[in-house]
Amino acid sequence: MKLDKSLEARKLLHTTVYSQCFSPCGHYLATCNNYGKISIFSVSKALAPDASEGNWKQIFSFQACEDGALYCLATTGDLLISAGNGPICAWKWKEILDKSPRIVWSFSIPKRGPFSNPEVNTLVVDQQETGTALFAGCGDKNVYSWDLESGKQVLCMSGHTDYVHDISLKSDGNTLASASEDGSVNIWDVRDSAEPVYSIVPHKTESCCRPSLGKWVGCVAMDSSNDWLVCGGGPKMSLWHLRSMTATSVFDTPKACQQTVQFYDDMILSAGTEPFVNHWFVNGDQKAKVPCTPTSVFNVSVNKNDDKYKVLCASGSSYKIDVCTNFGYRAFSFSLTPD
Amino acid sequence: MSKEEKPEKRKRSIKKENPEQKRIKQESSSKESKLTTSLFYSEEAEVDTRSPEKDVEVFKSTCSDIRQTMLDIKSLKDKKASHDELEDKRVSVMLDFMNLKKLNRLAHIRCKKVREQTNDAKQRIDHYHLQLQNLLYEIMHLEKEITKCLEFKSKDEEIELVTLDDFYKTAPSDISRTDTTKTDPHLQRLARLEWELEQRKQLAKKLKDSKQSKEGLAQEIKNKQEYLENLQPKLKIVLEATKPVQEYLDMPFDQIREQQETARHLPPPLYVLYMQTSAYRQACDKDLQVSIIGDLDAAKAIKSSGKVVEEDSDSDQEEQEHSKKSKRRRKTVDSRVQERKQQALKKHPLAVKLDINCKDGNSLHLTFNFLITLEIITVNISLTLAESNISSISGSDLLAPESVLTDLYPGDHGKTSPNPANKYELRKLGLKDFTSYITEVGWPYLWAQWLGGLQFLENNAVNTPEEDVSFAHMQQTIRRLKQRVRSRLCLMKQTAAFETGNVVVDPEYQGLFPSKIVSRLTSWKRSTYEDFAVLPHAQALVDDEVVEQSDIFFTTVIERGSAKMTAQIVMTHDYPKVAPVFVVSVLWQHERTAANDKHIKEMEEEVNVHHEELMNSKSCDTVLSNQMQRLLMCFDIYLETEAAGSEEEGPMEISKEKIYNRMLRGPSRSKPYRYCPDIGIFTHR
Repeated sequence: MKLDKSLEARKLLHTTVYSQCFSPCGHYLATCNNYGKISIFSVSKALAPDASEGNWKQIFSFQACEDGALYCLATTGDLLISAGNGPICAWKWKEILDKSPRIVWSFSIPKRGPFSNPEVNTLVVDQQETGTALFAGCGDKNVYSWDLESGKQVLCMSGHTDYVHDISLKSDGNTLASASEDGSVNIWDVRDSAEPVYSIVPHKTESCCRPSLGKWVGCVAMDSSNDWLVCGGGPKMSLWHLRSMTATSVFDTPKACQQTVQFYDDMILSAGTEPFVNHWFVNGDQKAKVPCTPTSVFNVSVNKNDDKYKVLCASGSSYKIDVCTNFGYRAFSFSLTPD
Repeated sequence: MSKEEKPEKRKRSIKKENPEQKRIKQESSSKESKLTTSLFYSEEAEVDTRSPEKDVEVFKSTCSDIRQTMLDIKSLKDKKASHDELEDKRVSVMLDFMNLKKLNRLAHIRCKKVREQTNDAKQRIDHYHLQLQNLLYEIMHLEKEITKCLEFKSKDEEIELVTLDDFYKTAPSDISRTDTTKTDPHLQRLARLEWELEQRKQLAKKLKDSKQSKEGLAQEIKNKQEYLENLQPKLKIVLEATKPVQEYLDMPFDQIREQQETARHLPPPLYVLYMQTSAYRQACDKDLQVSIIGDLDAAKAIKSSGKVVEEDSDSDQEEQEHSKKSKRRRKTVDSRVQERKQQALKKHPLAVKLDINCKDGNSLHLTFNFLITLEIITVNISLTLAESNISSISGSDLLAPESVLTDLYPGDHGKTSPNPANKYELRKLGLKDFTSYITEVGWPYLWAQWLGGLQFLENNAVNTPEEDVSFAHMQQTIRRLKQRVRSRLCLMKQTAAFETGNVVVDPEYQGLFPSKIVSRLTSWKRSTYEDFAVLPHAQALVDDEVVEQSDIFFTTVIERGSAKMTAQIVMTHDYPKVAPVFVVSVLWQHERTAANDKHIKEMEEEVNVHHEELMNSKSCDTVLSNQMQRLLMCFDIYLETEAAGSEEEGPMEISKEKIYNRMLRGPSRSKPYRYCPDIGIFTHR
């Protein structure tokens, strides 16, 4: 693709897509990048049998954040929530697809001190019968939660000594795990949030510590059976059994720190600072190492909302987002366009 | 003929007949009188008296008498009667026969009479019939004559007369004679015709008068013209006399006029160029100087001889013919090619020279030539630099005449002819592509064509230069030329400074950077596209065609302690409109590039994308230095944060010297590359 020498084209070369989110219907993919833009791609059109290169470009993009980068996206039934620098904003999916998005509501992180400019690194939406809650892990070392029906901040979980990279919720919504730059993964009970229930420190464990790469834990995930937790970052990625709090398997990625991890079926998908998406068995063996375009992968998402368009999308420090229909290899790439 | 006359005629005709009839009768009666003596009485008269019916009766009785007598005779004969009785009977029969004869005669006479009577009547009828026909023919004839008379149009009806009302209004009373003419249409018509005649006479007189006056005026004009023509040479003498006065007063009107004289012999595009640049110089920019150089006589010769279009095949044929007729030595192929080339690339003998003087003492000299057959303008460039300029080794060709004006407008590299027809012409003449002749004839830049008013659109060679094109581009082009010279000189200065290891930052931008930067520039060299393209971390730029072969490449090494950073810098000819692109690789403990270290990518982003903060005005000539300074600053941060963040024990090679409130931020753990000048600390974007 020929890019001209304009500033827009150069910006494109330096784009990093931090997060992705599929629409509730499963037909669209929303991505956010380091310039604060949200771009929408049409998965259904791109997977149609007569799709051409034009269908692999974004169908719409808008500037969601004026202050800087957007780091994370989450979705409820009809809202897309974006966060990063600046306040957490919510947009209606319908308005986005009509190309006229407006902020529906926004939450701000309380600022402490003149130089503090806390960013939101991660968002999780928890939908229970009692209500919908939004959890955010922030750069001011806390995890906040809001009740989406009332719009009030409900919880503030502080305890980390450095900023929070990633959080993960159990399916019953009562237990939360937060991974932080200070090297620890704290397990919290949502109902009683004064102190973490337990703290896992991978860099102090012999089997996974890697001092040359640092002690920070960049990603954490808990599986659906609620017994297992996997986390990765500076130390090697490791699988922990929550009842006994021991590391049962270690996943070796030499020289690469994992930045995103999730459980999928009976596999673990992870990716990080090398241009590969790793598929692992639970016992630590590597099932596949799929090459991808971004040199540093920040997000891997699987479309669970529509079985017809079940694809895996990997995004990171490139303006291209890899799409895999068969998770074993890259089928094609969505690409952002300057506009 | 009137009806009274008709019966008279009839009478006359009848009367005519009557004497005739009388004559015939007299004749017949005389004949009879001759033939029959007084013994015979006229039987004709008898006929009139006796009635026919009686005669028929008499005839019948006589016949029966005869029959009877015959019978009697027969009976007598039978009886043997006496001869006397027979004789009596015979005599009576004879007498009866005599009666019969008389009766027959009478009958005949009667017939004859009746026939005569019918003839008469018939004749009379015919006569009348003929008369009737005659009269009918006469009637028809007369009717025709009447219609002919009625249709007769006299010539006077063809004349268009003024309307009745106008006539009564305008005609003088002796002609119109209103009282008589109003009643009598004939008189009215006569009056109108008279008036028409009057009017026509008047108009004819007017025409004659106007013709005379016209001739008088024509004569006057001729006289005046002669007078003026005689004036011309006298004025010339006066002008000559003023020349010494002009020189004394130092007002070179003549010189200007002479230049304009020469300008008239310029080919049209150069003429447009000359006029527009002179106008621009007078109106806006006193730093320009425009003059015409070249051979005026040759130009005059060309103008008078007109354009001679030679076709290759024709000239060949002519040559062949000539060689057959006169044993002339045939020209060799080479010399013919030379000739053709010379013909095709022939320049017009006059050229326009434009000197642009910049404020810092440098000046750019452009000589515009016009190629006659190819119909394009080419430029020869030369620079005279002010004394104080430093030259740099790596940037030595920045001011070379070939490349200093490349890409003045985007895409205008000046290597091919802008006139699409030239390709065909050159090929037809068997010559190579235009690019190979550029060293001889000059550079055919697009802006040079525009200044001369020539605009070459796709598939459409415009032959007539248009002033509007030149005007539209003049100001911009001059401005761009000046800017280009200035920025190239600045670039030279900057590269010279880099070669000595200094990054010279303009005082106005110094506030954008912290006061202490430890990394140092250790080497600066010129590089090439091939060298750039083989680097693995440069592949992305090459694949996406962000860099091209025609760009300018540099490579530099920056060091701090044991860490070494090699940066490739690519800039286009259009610097500083398009800021240079930096591609970096760091060697510190192990090789890191944008491909394997996201912090390096972010460093590149900081330098490549956010360079607009380094420029106060729209395009700043020192943006390269500013970017370089920023790169050094970011390298410092990179090394310091990397060292601080590593868990290794042992003395740290690189100590933390910069102030930042947070070392890492966000999911990508970005380093604080952004410098806040007012507070003096580093933060994240």
